[in-house]
Amino acid sequence: MTDSEFREAYGRHKDTLYRFAWRMTGSAAAAEDLVQDCFLMLWRNAAAYDRERGTLRSFLIGVTRNLALKRLHKERTFDELEEETAICGPIDPAGRERREMVAQAVAALPLLQREALILAEYEEMPMDEIARSSGVELAAVKSRLHRARENLRRMLAPLLETKGATYGTNR
Amino acid sequence: MEPTDDAKLSELLREWRAPDAPQSLDARVLGARKMWWSFLLTGSIRVPVPVGVAIAATLLAMAAALVRQRPAEPVTSSISLVDFRPVEDLNVRVIGGHYEAR
Repeated sequence: MTDSEFREAYGRHKDTLYRFAWRMTGSAAAAEDLVQDCFLMLWRNAAAYDRERGTLRSFLIGVTRNLALKRLHKERTFDELEEETAICGPIDPAGRERREMVAQAVAALPLLQREALILAEYEEMPMDEIARSSGVELAAVKSRLHRARENLRRMLAPLLETKGATYGTNR
Repeated sequence: MEPTDDAKLSELLREWRAPDAPQSLDARVLGARKMWWSFLLTGSIRVPVPVGVAIAATLLAMAAALVRQRPAEPVTSSISLVDFRPVEDLNVRVIGGHYEAR
């Protein structure tokens, strides 16, 4: 990979990767570390990217995702509930801004559900691309996304009710 | 699950916005790259202690052997006779302490 090719790839994908890492970790410093490590990996071992297996974006998301999960697993100091069956309760809306509550709710999701939701909802990645990035079957991504939305609906129920009343007439 | 529920949820989720990559990241990523040969100048390698000690001992032994085996340099002295002038007026006089006293 030449210097100009690298710069082009960096310019095109840095924001997507940073937003993804920021939402996954909830930390700007951690997000910077992860994106830096991801691009340095690309620079040192560009041959690891195979065009026939998907887009560069999904490859880089996959690398960032692996780095993020590794970091989050290392930092985890308690036993989390089973990823697939974790049920999140409603959050307390008192004294919080809406976006803070959304952030808290997403951060409370189990890692794999959070990852699927962030990529689908915020980065608007197609399901098959998420599956390639995550290295899992399409069905697994659909399942994780479904559970993530169920959990979010439960956690954000107070806000959704308000939002329904406020925005329902605009649709 | 109703489609309208998903739309409402999506709309609510979008209220949480993430920032774009900060400019400080540019310097970190674009400045951190090194050419392959820069390793020769700034790189480092980790060597297990036993291996390092063995290498150091081998080098010391080789150096000691080299010092011992170095042959003594032959003394090469050359005498130039260019400015040599033989004595023209040779008057031999024997000096002896016994006869001088007389």
